[in-house]
Amino acid sequence: MISKEAVRELEHALGAEFVSCEPAVMDGYAYQPTHAEILGLETKWCPYRPVAVVLPHTTEEVQAVVRICNAHKLQFKALSTGWGIWNAPGSDNVVQIDLRRMDKLTIDTKNMIAVMEPYVSGAQIQAEGMKSGLNVHMVGCGCHASPLASATSLMGPGCSGITTGYSPRNVLGVEWVLPDGEILRLGVPGQGNDEWFYGDGPGPSLRGIMRGTLGACGGLGVFTKCALKLFPWPGPAQPKVEGVLMDAKVEIPGTHSSFLCFLPNLSRFADAFYKISNAEIGYFMGKHAITGALLAGCMPRAYKNLVKSETVRSILTALQNTFVIILCGRTQREYDYQHKVLKQIIADCEGFMLNIGHVPLLHSMLWWGFIRNSLPPAIFRAGGRFTTAFGGFETIDQAVFQSKIGAVIKQELIDSGDMMDDLADNSWGGLYEGSSCLAHQEELAIFDPREPKQNEGVNKYIDKAMEASTKYTITPGIGFGGGGAVPHMLGPLIYNYHHWLLQIKETLDPGNSADPSFFIAPEAEKEKYLRDYARRRPQVARLVEDILAADKKRSDVP
Amino acid sequence: MALQDYTNDMFGCSRCSLCKWIPQNQVKSWRFAKGCPSMDRYHFHAYSGSGRMIMGMSMLDGRSELGDAVAEIIYKCQLCGACQVACMAVRDDIDLGDVLLEERARCVEEGFLLPEHMEFIESMKREDNTLGMRKADRGNWAKGLDIPDINLERVEVLFHAGCRYSYDEDLMETVRNAVALLKKGGVKAGIAGRDEACCGGRAYETGYQGEMKKYADDMAGRVKASGAAMLVTPCADCYYTFKYLYPKNGISLDVEVLHITELADRLIRAGTIKPKRAVPMKVTYHDPCHLGRRGEAYRGGWSGENKLDRPIRFKQSGEKGVFEPPRNIIRSIPGIEFVEMERIREWSYCCGAGGGVLEAFPEFAGWTARERMEEVASTGAEALVTACPWCVRVFQDTIRETGSSLKVIDVTELLMRSLGGK
Amino acid sequence: MVGKKALAGIVGEENVVTDRNILDAFAVDKSYGEGTPPAFLVKPHSTEEVQAVINLAKSEGFPLIPVSSGAPRDHEDTVPACADSVIVDLSDMKKIVRLDRRNKVALIEPGVTFGELHAAAKAAGLRVLMPLLPRMNKSVLASCLEREPFTIPKYQWDTTDPLMCMELVFGSGDIYRTGSAAGPGSLEAQWETGAAQKNPLGPGQWDPLRLVQGAQGTMGIVTWGSVKLELLPREEKCFLAAAEKMDELIEFSYLIQKFKLVDVCFIMNAVDLASLRMDVVGKFPPWVLVYSISGYEYFPGERIDYIEHDIEEMAHATGVLPISGVAGVSAGDIVGAATLPCEGIYWKDRLRGDCRDIFFITTLDRVPRFLDAMAGEAKAHGFPEGSLGIYIQPIQQGRNCHLEFNLMYDGRNADEAGRVRALYETASVRCADMGAFFSRPYGAWAALAYRKDQPTVKALKMVKHMLDPKGIMNPGKLSLGTEV
Ligand SMILES: Cc1cc2nc3c(=O)[nH]c(=O)nc-3n(C[C@H](O)[C@H](O)[C@H](O)COP(=O)(O)OP(=O)(O)OC[C@H]3O[C@@H](n4cnc5c(N)ncnc54)[C@H](O)[C@@H]3O)c2cc1C
Repeated sequence: MISKEAVRELEHALGAEFVSCEPAVMDGYAYQPTHAEILGLETKWCPYRPVAVVLPHTTEEVQAVVRICNAHKLQFKALSTGWGIWNAPGSDNVVQIDLRRMDKLTIDTKNMIAVMEPYVSGAQIQAEGMKSGLNVHMVGCGCHASPLASATSLMGPGCSGITTGYSPRNVLGVEWVLPDGEILRLGVPGQGNDEWFYGDGPGPSLRGIMRGTLGACGGLGVFTKCALKLFPWPGPAQPKVEGVLMDAKVEIPGTHSSFLCFLPNLSRFADAFYKISNAEIGYFMGKHAITGALLAGCMPRAYKNLVKSETVRSILTALQNTFVIILCGRTQREYDYQHKVLKQIIADCEGFMLNIGHVPLLHSMLWWGFIRNSLPPAIFRAGGRFTTAFGGFETIDQAVFQSKIGAVIKQELIDSGDMMDDLADNSWGGLYEGSSCLAHQEELAIFDPREPKQNEGVNKYIDKAMEASTKYTITPGIGFGGGGAVPHMLGPLIYNYHHWLLQIKETLDPGNSADPSFFIAPEAEKEKYLRDYARRRPQVARLVEDILAADKKRSDVP
Repeated sequence: MALQDYTNDMFGCSRCSLCKWIPQNQVKSWRFAKGCPSMDRYHFHAYSGSGRMIMGMSMLDGRSELGDAVAEIIYKCQLCGACQVACMAVRDDIDLGDVLLEERARCVEEGFLLPEHMEFIESMKREDNTLGMRKADRGNWAKGLDIPDINLERVEVLFHAGCRYSYDEDLMETVRNAVALLKKGGVKAGIAGRDEACCGGRAYETGYQGEMKKYADDMAGRVKASGAAMLVTPCADCYYTFKYLYPKNGISLDVEVLHITELADRLIRAGTIKPKRAVPMKVTYHDPCHLGRRGEAYRGGWSGENKLDRPIRFKQSGEKGVFEPPRNIIRSIPGIEFVEMERIREWSYCCGAGGGVLEAFPEFAGWTARERMEEVASTGAEALVTACPWCVRVFQDTIRETGSSLKVIDVTELLMRSLGGK
Repeated sequence: MVGKKALAGIVGEENVVTDRNILDAFAVDKSYGEGTPPAFLVKPHSTEEVQAVINLAKSEGFPLIPVSSGAPRDHEDTVPACADSVIVDLSDMKKIVRLDRRNKVALIEPGVTFGELHAAAKAAGLRVLMPLLPRMNKSVLASCLEREPFTIPKYQWDTTDPLMCMELVFGSGDIYRTGSAAGPGSLEAQWETGAAQKNPLGPGQWDPLRLVQGAQGTMGIVTWGSVKLELLPREEKCFLAAAEKMDELIEFSYLIQKFKLVDVCFIMNAVDLASLRMDVVGKFPPWVLVYSISGYEYFPGERIDYIEHDIEEMAHATGVLPISGVAGVSAGDIVGAATLPCEGIYWKDRLRGDCRDIFFITTLDRVPRFLDAMAGEAKAHGFPEGSLGIYIQPIQQGRNCHLEFNLMYDGRNADEAGRVRALYETASVRCADMGAFFSRPYGAWAALAYRKDQPTVKALKMVKHMLDPKGIMNPGKLSLGTEV
């Protein structure tokens, strides 16, 4: 509950039209169905509804909101574009800070840096960047999400990573309203000159407490500004595009083309990735499962029928070790060289490749869909929803290893009729940071939340993937992001990282005012979080009881 | 259909928020990337297509109640359809626009009515028009024009002026131009004069769904009686009603329905009329929602259970609206420099007038028009050409308020200038 | 004060150094810092020993100063600020634990030097991402921890590169592993799954690596780390672009880096170039941009060829002329000289015997104003232009750069040394006032760097308190306090 006084103060700070306590309005923030299944939550309504929603316009207004929350013992949680369960309020005491009104963007074209507020989308930055031959890293959920949110607060993988890196590694400074309302600026902006070109130091980099593999998902305050690296775009300043997605027709530069590369098996697939990485070619590169992401996204109905045919199945299965690579030459010379190398690599790995450029309409749709990053949400077409599992970020070999395990798990569930049949082929991932041999891979699964059986199947899938992740010592990626209970469970396996998170949280936020529900449950709420989690994911019940018993034993010691 | 019939559509929402933007493929700048006036003006998620569906679910699930505040949100939306286009770029199973219509119907059913809307509903009931004018004066706009009256003779083409053109003095020149144009093109058209009535679309859009039926039947009868094989209207709203709302509600007019721009385009292409006189002017074109994405003929009629299985051709994705004819007309005029805005065609930005907003929330309508006019200004055009009386009205009002030097011209008027007047 | 016995009990008698000459030498380094000689120097050989030393320091309350590289030391970061300190010398931890050719990564202990890693990597067809001519005995991990810039900016995706993961013991005594090395599972178990400790992020929602990097040993002691390596080019072609004024090279430099066309890439003035190649002092043009183009596993010659042509066009468009040599020295020789560990006299000392550096982070387009300011200061202090070396190292793929002024002088001449010191101090302040970002705030620079950013100081103190609650790790550095 929020007091009238607190509401009045919020209204005074922001203006009454930017504060709402209307249940139907607040429900707009209590419905976060996407990826809720990862936590075993209902894929419809969140457990809690915010007590108010506010729309600050400036950093000072964010500060004011945070201070009011502190004064009234309310929690707060920020969101940028607000897609996914991580935005859900974690208690019945949360003021949701919707940062939509903070949407400024400036670009330093020479130094390839964009300085943005939270509600600037990837597509906006890209559109402006391309005018000066620049592009931005966007995560796999699509170009309408906020790069600031990804870089400061959530994850980071996206399919142009071979050129544009990985969100958290692209940060060149942030402005951060801490849980007590103080402002911390990391790197050069801390010097007070409003210059944004370097985000670390002086001395140790406080990016180290800002986030790690994952961000704090709002659990450490509010990021109001951020500088991110931009990357070269060797293409037109404003591609001429007709159509909205599947119907796109685009003028593609003669020095760009896209290729579907098919490898005979996963081991040659991995070799090809390594060789491409070493050759420093390619602009965009991703593993897009033929049956999952590609067919299901582009032709959902046909795909459901196709997989029913044994012949088609066998063909699709033979083509499963596939990736898409787009070569973008700045000059014809560059394109010719890259093309020659790619052909040789694929030949050396006993594969074959299709130049999608020979199929102009398909090429238009894929080329711009991938470069603009507008295609990913099309994966919702087949079932209405999709989930994801695993998701480490390590070497190419480990990504491949992980995808093999994922396929086995999924096949069992397809066989038992629990999951939609995608030939157990829906791995998605890519190469990162050029020659670094870094790869990310997730195991996607399409489902229809309106079908109870599919909901159940997906939950089983997540359970099994989580088990496998620890059993096979796969670096958790998404696994880290399962909510406030997770660090308490994973921590003991990973150098007790949860102890440090707890210390960071308690030092920066002694009053626990920044909603910790997707960061780490504070000590005082640990038991509640763990039990909640165990209720939703019964396979961890035993582990939870062990952890709680050990805690009790410790506290019993005088 | 009622709101609860769209439960699956609403629950299909992933809250991706694409509905707040123009389709991502088309984002060309930071400035003009957003697509939803309601969201841009009021910001809370509830004002977006997604938020509106969530509100619908929330009410159906008994989590919140329809009240004045919620009804106001429901009505602070031009039903411009931008959200549906953006959503349908990646979804096949959500008929977002229909959900918005059903929410309004629910408001009316439960008695959450806006006085401004009741006013024009009353006017419709009493005088057969939405503008509070006398039915007897409906045909006055055509005074002095030598055009057949369908009550007196059978015609090949029935020309339906629509309420705004019939009564709005400022726009009368345009509709008279349209008639002149038909004549120049040798089209044997007639009008219903004072017997013309509202199409009923505005009532349907504002939630008074039942009201439309009477007008639709009336319209169908008039068309039939006229003997016309074609119905032509210069009004984008009426056009949408004929092309989408009627068939959606099982009402067939059994004739070809064209917007005046479609007919003019045909005439130009057939060589029947030839724009010759140069109109030296830099112009841009604003796609009226009801002529563009929402002017797309009804594509429904599929009767399956699960919309995931619905073939694409039944998807109301907006790209088959009327986009090229007005542009063809502009391009055919000598001396014109035609520049496009970033938000055009099915991803056009609304003028602000639709969905009962102009009547109930004029400030919001004006705000939206201003936003659009900034986009016009960014092209350097001196005139904004469009093809809908409601768009023209709100732009002209806003120009007057802001003192802008921008000109707003209906495309038929522009064409007539090139054809050499009436 | 801690006794020798307690330390010997951990690392063994032979690994506790009590020789006063050795210890006293730690009270100063090449910088202006003056400290207190340590009580002992210990040489641990394992993570457990490091942990035990830290735990002892915690309980007995004495400061620890970790050191990994050999002498001469510089920058004041290893000069003890407090009495009774113990130097933890990691130079004996020298194992190259694993060198993974496929994943291009080496897992090394802190005592591994550039000389050693360079040789091992080369044998595997790989190269180390090295700062400009590091001294032979410079520890690779120490250099990474200091965020020293390296000469191939295209491989620096983030400031932490080339350091990926590490194991360390915090000042709290906790052993920790960072990035994907943290697990789950042992290193061996991770290798089984194909992992190679290449993900620097995490574990979980924090990034301890970033807190330890740049910390001048104030947070903990690193016991091993993985560093990314890159392919040794099969072929390489080197170029120079000469200019009268640095400004003339800016646009070209931005372009060739933007598209990651070049490998080695830096800009130097004639004085620094002459220090690399002492045989041609006085003959170099005022400014030279040095770059190399490489070919790797596939069609190396063709790669070089196309890039050379592309760059020619860029050069033409920006009014720059790529040349293959200058003053009788080939570009290849310069690149060769600049990309190996430094043998013999340290390169910056070659010209005048001594050198003081002022360096900070800025961007290429901001460099000219610092050059002007520095020229003005040098003049005002009577410092000869011919002794002012300038080195501009683009970092992070060209988004910013390390700008370094090398004040070369004869340290035996007290008058000259005094003038240099005055220049060093005034110019540092002047540059800071102009927006120079002292990201590695050694010695007195800490005050300059933090004076306008109290929130950062406050947060750093909080981090320090968390990782080193007793304040035993290198107290007195970074404005973090001297309390043990
Ligand atoms: C379908 C789907 C696919 C996805 N795929 C990927 C993927 O491939 N790769 C990937 O990296 N991620 C992926 N994500 C997650 C995605 O990164 C985020 O949803 C998105 O990048 C972040 O942008 P956003 O504006 O939506 O963030 P939001 O959803 O607004 O926020 C994400 C989290 O960060 C917090 N937050 C946001 N802004 C702030 C702020 N300014 N200050 C403090 N906290 C803040 C929020 O509380 C929330 O916990 C996916 C998500 C979905 C729903």
